[in-house]
Parts: sequence; C-alpha cells; structure tokens
Amino acid sequence: MTSLNFPKNANERRAFTLAAIILLQALCAFFFVGDVFVDMTEGGHLDDIHMALEALAALALICGVIYLMLELRQLLRRFSSMATGLRAARGEMTQLIDSFFDSWDLTPSERDVALLVLKGFDNEDIARLRGTAAGTVRAQTAKIYSKANVEGRSHLFSIFMEELFSDHLGEGGKMAKAGGNV
Amino acid sequence: MAPASEAFKGRSGARTFAVWDPLVRLVHWCLALAILLNGAILDGDSPLHEIVGYMAFALVATRVVWGLIGTGPARFAAFPPNPAAALRHLRLMVCGKGPVHLSHNPLGALMAYNIWATVLVLVATGYLMGTLRFFGSKWLEEAHEMAFNWLLVSVALHICGVAFDSWRTRVALVPAMITGRKTVPGDRSVQ
Ligand code: HEM
Ligand code: HEM
Repeated sequence: MTSLNFPKNANERRAFTLAAIILLQALCAFFFVGDVFVDMTEGGHLDDIHMALEALAALALICGVIYLMLELRQLLRRFSSMATGLRAARGEMTQLIDSFFDSWDLTPSERDVALLVLKGFDNEDIARLRGTAAGTVRAQTAKIYSKANVEGRSHLFSIFMEELFSDHLGEGGKMAKAGGNV
Repeated sequence: MAPASEAFKGRSGARTFAVWDPLVRLVHWCLALAILLNGAILDGDSPLHEIVGYMAFALVATRVVWGLIGTGPARFAAFPPNPAAALRHLRLMVCGKGPVHLSHNPLGALMAYNIWATVLVLVATGYLMGTLRFFGSKWLEEAHEMAFNWLLVSVALHICGVAFDSWRTRVALVPAMITGRKTVPGDRSVQ
C-alpha cells in the first residue's frame, strides 16, 4: 500500500508546484498589465520602444499563464485516469485471485493462508497473524500447493505474474476461467 | 458533472472524490489572507494596502479564467448562479435531504460569486479613490467601506454555511479545501 501511495503524493506535489507557479506568474502578469495601463493613461505610446517591450512582456506572461493552466488541467486529468486504471487493475487482480482459489477448491482458511502467502508473508508470520501453530500453516501451505498443482511459493507467484504479463488482463473475468485449468 | 477522479469505496462504504485542484485551494487561501491583511492589519493609506488589494484582484481574475478552462468541479458550469436552484436547495436543507454536491451547492455557489464580485467592487472603488478625477471624494470612500462591511457579512455567512453544511451532510468541507478531497458517507447520493 505504501509503495502505491508514493507516486500519488509525488504527483500531488507536482500539481501543487505547477499551480503555485501559475499563481505567481498571474500576479506578475497583472502588475505588468497594470503598469502598461498606467503608462498609457499618462500619455505613453506603444511606438515608444520601452512601452512596446513592456506590453509584449505583459502579453507573453498572460499567454504563459493560460498555457500553464491548460498544462495543469492535462496533468490532473492524467493523474485521475492513472488512479482509475490502477483501481481497475487492483479490482481485476482480486477477481483473478478469487477465481483461481475457487477453481482449486480452497477451504476458507486455506484461502486466507494463500492470500497471505501471495502478500509475501512467510510461514512463521502467517502463524502469528492467524494465531495458529507453525505446523498447521505448513500443512495448509502444502495442501494449497498440491491443490494448485505447483511446487512451492515461487511457482504459485508465477501463475499470477503470468496472468499480469499476458495481455488479456483487462478483459474482465475471462482470463480467470482460462487460467483455471493450470 | 464528472468528478475529477472516480469514486472508490472505503471500508465503511464512504467514497472519496478529488474535487478541489491545487489552484482552487491556493487562490482560496491567498484571497482569504489578502482580505484579512487589508481588512484588519494594513491601514488604508499604506502603499502595501494598495498592493495587497491589487493582488486580491489578480487572484479573483485568475480564478475567473480557471472557472472557464479549469478542472470539472472548479468550472462555473459545475456551479452556475441559479437562484431558483438555491431556493430548492434551501428547502431540501430544511428537510434534511438532498444529495451531496461535489462542486459548490447552489447556495454556496451564489456566495462564491457574491464574494468575488464584492472584492472587485472593493478594488474598483479603491483604485478610483486614488485617481485625480475622484481624489478626496467622500462617497467613494464610503462605498469602499460599505463594500468592505458587506464582505465581512458575506464571509461570516460563508463560514457559518460551511460549518452548517459540514455538520448536515457529514462531509468535512474544510479539510476538502485543504487536501482537495471530499469524503462522502456511504448513505448519501452524490451530484
Ligand atoms: C476572507 C475569508 C474568506 C473568503 C473571502 C472566502 C471565499 C471563498 C470563495 C470565493 C469560495 C469559492 C471557492 C472557489 O470556487 O474557488 C470559498 C469556498 C470555501 N471556503 Fe472560503 N473564504 C474565506 C474564508 C474561509 C475560511 C476561514 C474557511 C474555513 C473555515 C473557508 C472554507 C471554505 C470552504 C470549505 C469552501 C468550499 C465550500 C464547498 O465545498 O462548496 N473559507 N470561499
Ligand atoms: C481586498 C481588497 C480590499 C479590502 C478588503 C480593503 C479594505 C479596506 C478597509 C477596511 C478600509 C478602511 C479602513 C482603513 O482606512 O484602514 C480601506 C481603506 C482604503 N482603501 Fe482599501 N481595501 C481593499 C482594496 C483596496 C485597493 C485595491 C485600493 C487602492 C488601489 C484601496 C485603497 C484604499 C484607500 C485609499 C483607503 C483609505 C480610505 C479612507 O481614508 O477612508 N483599497 N480599505
């Protein structure tokens, strides 16, 4: 979870920095425009080179602000579709895991243990988390591996990794049925 | 109206939406700070008062442009000024019903437009006071002060409204203006 939160915070920092720059630049643009405006009312003319440059700078700042605003909107849109995609993938991963567990006929406690194995806990951790003896967990994992027809922990992982890397993740529950006969 | 980010369900069925982008939040708190400075700390005759006042104008101008081209909930289209809808919303509020609005609710929308317009009046009267044409004009000074009094009433109502609506809908609105995210209880519909 923490590793998934990190890019989100970095993204938020990026968006915030961009917004702060937009605001600063908008303030500068306003003061430049105001300056040009005051000079004009005091009889300045745009054919004066100094005035013309100032007016140009004001225009450039305004264009910059609007351009950065469009960039910010784009950035925020990309972040939100990334977040949606990640959630969709997470949801599909859960579905996938469930359907594999179904197809292997795991008992409820075997499902719990298998999930903890997939989350990377070792047998002692699982025993502690579930409040059972280490021997029980060892028996359960052995049962899980035999039901799944795999040789061990890393082989079990590889089933799911294979699903992640093949391109039919994204087509809903289909891949789960295909993978059921592994 | 499409939220900036899709909802996802928390453990209690509460959903979290990204509503206020960083630009909206920065403008809001800078504007509040500018008004606090000019209203309570800086004397009307100090040059800083003018600078801070013009900054407030630039903040509102930025927000107006962002209201036209910004993210979903920040756009004027997401909270159009609509007195009839505001009245309907008031009626729903009295009955304790109604959806949670991801952008401003219709009543809050009116208040936002009112506050921005009042700041513009303050800046306009402040600017004119300094021009040769209106220099020393008593009625402009009075208009400036009256606009400020109106702003004080508006901000007081604004803060009461935010507090009341946070309590009524159980959506923490103030944290939303800080973190950008609204968390809506599972039993509330969203609009
Ligand atoms: C001088 C002080 C203040 C002014 C002028 C002011 C003005 C505004 C304006 C114009 C908006 C609309 C924002 C937008 O769409 O960009 C707004 C929203 C908001 N303000 Fe303030 N505000 C002030 C102080 C405060 C304070 C002290 C709080 C917190 C207690 C607060 C909380 C909020 C919240 C929560 C919203 C969003 C309401 C919603 O969810 O619809 N404001 N304010
Ligand atoms: C957010 C915007 C502003 C707010 C909240 C604000 C608030 C106030 C308040 C409360 C006063 C009367 C109290 C005092 O004299 O100290 C005042 C006076 C004054 N303000 Fe502002 N102001 C704003 C913007 C401006 C701007 C942009 C200008 C000029 C460019 C300006 C020029 C003045 C002047 C010249 C006075 C003195 C008038 C007098 O002697 O009664 N203000 N302002």
